[in-house]
Amino acid sequence: MPVLSIDNLSKNYNQVRALNNVSFSVPAKTVFGILGPNGSGKTTLLGIVMDILKASGGSYKWEGDQLPNERRKTIGTLLETPNFYHYLNAEDNLVIAAKIKGRGEDDIERVLKLVNLYERRRSKFSTFSLGMKQRLAIASALLGDPDVLVFDEPTNGLDPAGIAEIRDLIRELNRQGKTIIMASHILDEVEKVCTHVAIIQKGVLKTIGSVAEVMNTSGSSTVTAVVEIEVAAADMAGLKNILPGLAGVQSSNEAEGIIKLTCDESVTAEQVNRFCFEKGIVLNRLSVKRKSLETRFLEITGKQSDK
Amino acid sequence: MLELLKIEWLKMKKYIAFILLSSFYAIGVVVLNYIVYVIKTQVVDKVQGSQLLFSGSPFDFDMVWKTVSYYSSFFLMLPALLLVILMTNEYSFKTHRQNIIDGWSRLQFLKVKLWLAVLFALASTIVVIITALVFGFASGSSFAVNGIENIAYFLLKAITYNMVAILVCILTKRSGVAIAVFFIYTILENGISFLLFFLAMQIKKDSGTDVGNLGNYLPMNASDGLLTSPFEKFSDMAAQFLPTNYNWLVLAFALGYIVLFYTWSKRKFSNTDL
Repeated sequence: MPVLSIDNLSKNYNQVRALNNVSFSVPAKTVFGILGPNGSGKTTLLGIVMDILKASGGSYKWEGDQLPNERRKTIGTLLETPNFYHYLNAEDNLVIAAKIKGRGEDDIERVLKLVNLYERRRSKFSTFSLGMKQRLAIASALLGDPDVLVFDEPTNGLDPAGIAEIRDLIRELNRQGKTIIMASHILDEVEKVCTHVAIIQKGVLKTIGSVAEVMNTSGSSTVTAVVEIEVAAADMAGLKNILPGLAGVQSSNEAEGIIKLTCDESVTAEQVNRFCFEKGIVLNRLSVKRKSLETRFLEITGKQSDK
Repeated sequence: MLELLKIEWLKMKKYIAFILLSSFYAIGVVVLNYIVYVIKTQVVDKVQGSQLLFSGSPFDFDMVWKTVSYYSSFFLMLPALLLVILMTNEYSFKTHRQNIIDGWSRLQFLKVKLWLAVLFALASTIVVIITALVFGFASGSSFAVNGIENIAYFLLKAITYNMVAILVCILTKRSGVAIAVFFIYTILENGISFLLFFLAMQIKKDSGTDVGNLGNYLPMNASDGLLTSPFEKFSDMAAQFLPTNYNWLVLAFALGYIVLFYTWSKRKFSNTDL
């Protein structure tokens, strides 16, 4: 039973079609990434399923028989920006959120400690830095230990340590059996924490599946690159001479003293190393770049950013 | 609903504008009535012949209900302004979205604001009742309930102002714009109401048809028209030229507008992107 099913969802803003017949479902207990360039419709999609935007067509359904707003009380959500009363302190803001969710106030201390804001609980929201506001929003989403979490750009405004903490937190929440739906334009983020991914561009769903599935499905027919191997040696001229003889190499190019080979998936580092050594070339650099989600993303969405 | 209202209380109890504006309102009501009282007793009463125009004290029971309701209603802008600030804060902090994301339905969010509008009106009216009682007893008269319907008219006017305030916020979504629209509309409506009053007078003069004071059929003037000045001897004298105040009709208009504002706010808030 999927946690969330989306059926032919569309959204128009005057002439602009922000979402175009998007359908997919989010399996339970996954970290589900919604990936897309800026303006691709990620936030619009999440806004609709949280009932703050009205769809122009299609429907969605959260798992369970509760009324939509009762269901939302059991989902922790951070959408776009941290939304709090500026003149109230962190604790008072969380009291309001807890009361709306119908939870007691006994969980506030735990969530504030979890995001390292407990010491600043009596400071007004307006005095917080962007990163602190973001952490307070995450704390609010965690109130009452919800079984589903929706995060829109969760690491927005955080410093590198904060980003790492949030990623660890998301993985930990998933280990506890929670479903996390996360929108992001940061490929690295999705690749590091998500188990499943949906890629949308200009409101159209481009691909969906587990991260492994999405990475392994070949993209458009012109792109067949799958493994990138970087090599270098003291004798660069000799290396360049022998490389065309290596089986499975599709192309190579040299930059800054390193040769980058684009090879078939079957080519391994061991093969490359043995081949060169047998030809009398000793490598001083050999690294295999697994095909990254970024490559797949660019294959799917094209290299131009959306205008 | 009580649970929802308790949450609204948490939002505003530490808000400085709430504390200031409610204090200004309460102080303003007392001070203005006191000024009128002083002018009446210390200035007007000492002018020879003034008794012809102003017989009896407007602060004696039963006139005190009318007097205090009428003068206090000048301050009804303050609770309405406070509501505009509280409501547009939700829009600028985007907390209206967050409240719904956290589990309120759209209708719950709107209804609690409309209840707040009614509660603000009730609280404003209680201040007026207390003020009227204090002035009534202080002027040495004995308690009477005659004319207490003016308190109900005051409540109606307060509810109308507050409902307009909420509606303006829902339609404009921005604090500066909402405040400007609210004030400009109030002034504009008063201007139009004044012109309609003359039109009604003209109709009565030309055709002899008494259509009532047309100006009082407009949204904010309907509840306004029910509260009249305690010094109405002038009007009594001019009655034959003036259109009649059909109180029942004006009351019906006032109630009708409240229903209209409620329906409009509800439809708008339920069906748009927040």
